[in-house]
Amino acid sequence: MSTSENKLVLDAQDVAIHYGGVKAVDGVSLALRKGQIHGLIGPNGAGKSTVIDAITGRRRLTRGKVSLGDVDVTELGPTQRRQLGLSRSFQRTSIFEHMLVRQQVELASYKMGVTDSGADADAILQELDLMNLSHAVAADLGYGEQRRLDLALALVGRPSVLLLDEPMAGLSVQESHDLAKHLQALTSRWDVSVLLVEHDMDVVFGISNVVTVFELGRVIANGEPAAVRADPRVRTAYLGSAA
Amino acid sequence: MLTINLFNGLVYGALLIIMCSGLALIYGLRRVVNFAHGSLYMLGAYIGYSIAGYSNFWVALVAAPAIMAILGVLLDRYGFRLLQDRDPLSVVLVTFGLLLVIEDFVLTVWGKSNYSMSVPAALNMTIDLAGTSVPAYRIAVIAMGALVAISLSLWLRNSKIGLFVRAASTDPTTTAMQGVNTDALSAGVVGLGTALAGLAGVVAAPFLSLSPSMSSDVIIDSFVVVVIGGLGSLAGAFIAAMVLGMIQALGAVYLPDAAALLPFALMVAILIWKPAGFAGSRT
Amino acid sequence: MSIQRTSITTVVALAVGVAVALGVGSNNVLSLLTQAVIYAVFAIGVGLLLRQNGMVSFGHALYFGFSGYLVGILLQLKVMPAEAAIVVTLLAVTLMAFVMGLVIVRVPGVAFGMLTLAIGQMFFLTASRSRGLTGGADGMSIEWPDTLFGVAQSQLLKPSAMFLICWVTLIVVLLLLTLLLGTRFGSITEAVRDNEERARFIGIQTLLPRAAIYALSATVTGVAGLLSALNTGFVSPENLHWSLSGVALMMVVVGGNKVLWGPALGAVVYFFAKDILGSYANHWMAIFGIALISVIVFSPSGIAGALAKLVRGQGAPGALARILRH
Repeated sequence: MSTSENKLVLDAQDVAIHYGGVKAVDGVSLALRKGQIHGLIGPNGAGKSTVIDAITGRRRLTRGKVSLGDVDVTELGPTQRRQLGLSRSFQRTSIFEHMLVRQQVELASYKMGVTDSGADADAILQELDLMNLSHAVAADLGYGEQRRLDLALALVGRPSVLLLDEPMAGLSVQESHDLAKHLQALTSRWDVSVLLVEHDMDVVFGISNVVTVFELGRVIANGEPAAVRADPRVRTAYLGSAA
Repeated sequence: MLTINLFNGLVYGALLIIMCSGLALIYGLRRVVNFAHGSLYMLGAYIGYSIAGYSNFWVALVAAPAIMAILGVLLDRYGFRLLQDRDPLSVVLVTFGLLLVIEDFVLTVWGKSNYSMSVPAALNMTIDLAGTSVPAYRIAVIAMGALVAISLSLWLRNSKIGLFVRAASTDPTTTAMQGVNTDALSAGVVGLGTALAGLAGVVAAPFLSLSPSMSSDVIIDSFVVVVIGGLGSLAGAFIAAMVLGMIQALGAVYLPDAAALLPFALMVAILIWKPAGFAGSRT
Repeated sequence: MSIQRTSITTVVALAVGVAVALGVGSNNVLSLLTQAVIYAVFAIGVGLLLRQNGMVSFGHALYFGFSGYLVGILLQLKVMPAEAAIVVTLLAVTLMAFVMGLVIVRVPGVAFGMLTLAIGQMFFLTASRSRGLTGGADGMSIEWPDTLFGVAQSQLLKPSAMFLICWVTLIVVLLLLTLLLGTRFGSITEAVRDNEERARFIGIQTLLPRAAIYALSATVTGVAGLLSALNTGFVSPENLHWSLSGVALMMVVVGGNKVLWGPALGAVVYFFAKDILGSYANHWMAIFGIALISVIVFSPSGIAGALAKLVRGQGAPGALARILRH
């Protein structure tokens, strides 16, 4: 599996985020390649969410550079990055509770500038098994379904990169399994590349092509799942932390 | 002339202190803007008036707030507590409904006419203050306002329960997790808040006459005070109350139109630029 | 709601209005119903702000009274025909509300409510004290001309005619709002209301839609104010008072805000409580207060919501259930 042959769709170089004396992220480099699922793991407080925030533009970098494909997006805001195809889902489900399922996905698609937003919405709902809930009010959906809706909102306009912040949180084993399958389908059928922050080790090691391990704002291991799993530094980091 | 106006400003300010501290406490702990607070003030005044009719002012001064306290505890237990998970509008509108019920109750029991309550004998005199004679009662009102302000501040800052109150108004969940019975605490604080409203009513009765429009006369001023002082902040409320009292008293004489509008203009400005009020966080 | 269903509902509603106007003999009842309808429009305006923006205004009486005062002043100055004055008034209210909205909709939560309260009171005080301009605390009579839109004043002031005018206005307002909120604009405002951060994230500029809804709710309230000015020929500072705004809010909550016409139902309940309860009418305040508290505690979606649940629960056939759910 020659992963380095795939095109680099997202490149974070020497990213650092310091605030108020805290070095949340200190010199992190991440490379996401086309069609891959790249897992990001580490103890709580290691800086994973902060890195996601930085890559999506929600937080300013103290140092470093973020490129989406060939474009340097370091100075761009989240909306602009989204327009260029860099999308994310949120750790806490962030949907439009009182709106209908299809209505909100279509609206998001419309705002992305997709010409046929209705068709885009339908395709996404189909892909994520939400078609039969198209005309349901979002608040009436089950937790797992709402997470999928959150994901659907992130997929409008066919982004090239999708950052997922703990998508399996709160899902049952079956739901996690189903979601993992959806993610794999997305990367192969839709050409979306996924950067996945997760605590569910089975999922991460099961579907990722590459795994990066964080600790205290730094990368301590990076590579294919099997190699990372066996890495003694990774074992220490997990055994050593209370999380 | 100036002295007497300044003095009256102090009097009204003291009254507002007593009343608004209750409003601030209720907001601080329950996040409820109590629209019924003015009606509670009025109810306290009328109850005090009736009690004084059977005994005397001093008994009323203690009994009326006590009755209002019980009402407050019930209000919290069967009102605010049951609605605490609902959106803020719901609770505010319940207080609005309560306002209507209390107003109707007062009209039914005491009727539409104005009543006046006589100043207690012990204070029924005038005292010479910087060249003008002022009613002793009004000095007592100022003293009462100061007493309330000082006791509340000391209590909140130095007592264990005061600590719990401050903690609960900042973070109710964590406070409850620490073993503090936040429900009992809330009931107590709301009871204290309504008691203060009632106290303000009894205190006001001898120098402002009792009428069914009493509540609407003060409720807006109370909101202005609490907003300008910083929603939930006692210290802010105290300062804002005195400032407002002064503006009203001086303005009524010198610049009536501007004086009436100024508190609202201030309130608007603060809400736009600093919705948390100038004192910022609680107590 | 489909175009077909909307059209049918509108026609039926208009027909009901005509039937009432012609069928009800008592002028007192007609007059009462007229007031209820005017307040219904007022409440719909307040309810619109709450429904589409999630914001509570304790100062909407400002627009209710302001439109009355503005049209009165314009008529007094005799600078334009009455028909134009009406249009100018509505435009002025909308513009004023939009500009104010741009500033104040940024203020969150209960602070917004307090802010609207303060602004409303400032206008109330100004109107109470400006004897020269507004007649001060006594209010101002509004000199409508002999004919309005081609109809003689004597005809207009007949209780049945006045009721019909107000009723038709109510239906037209509901129709226009329904159509507007079914468009993209409606979806955008709902998204902003539900989740502002996510709305911004998907590229929605959140300030303009919120300000637009605020302005629209003010316009609707202004329409009610104009109807009131027409009905009574009079406007006073009481039309600007915060307690009136509070009453409108109560109507919204009691009637129910999940459907556009819920607040109208609340207005009917209010007037029923206030005037028709006969000997108990003296206690209408307590009754309404208790009704308000009961609704909030037991049926948060108001009477309209309770009705909808009832109808749905009994598996009623499509049309009625769908209308109630809209």
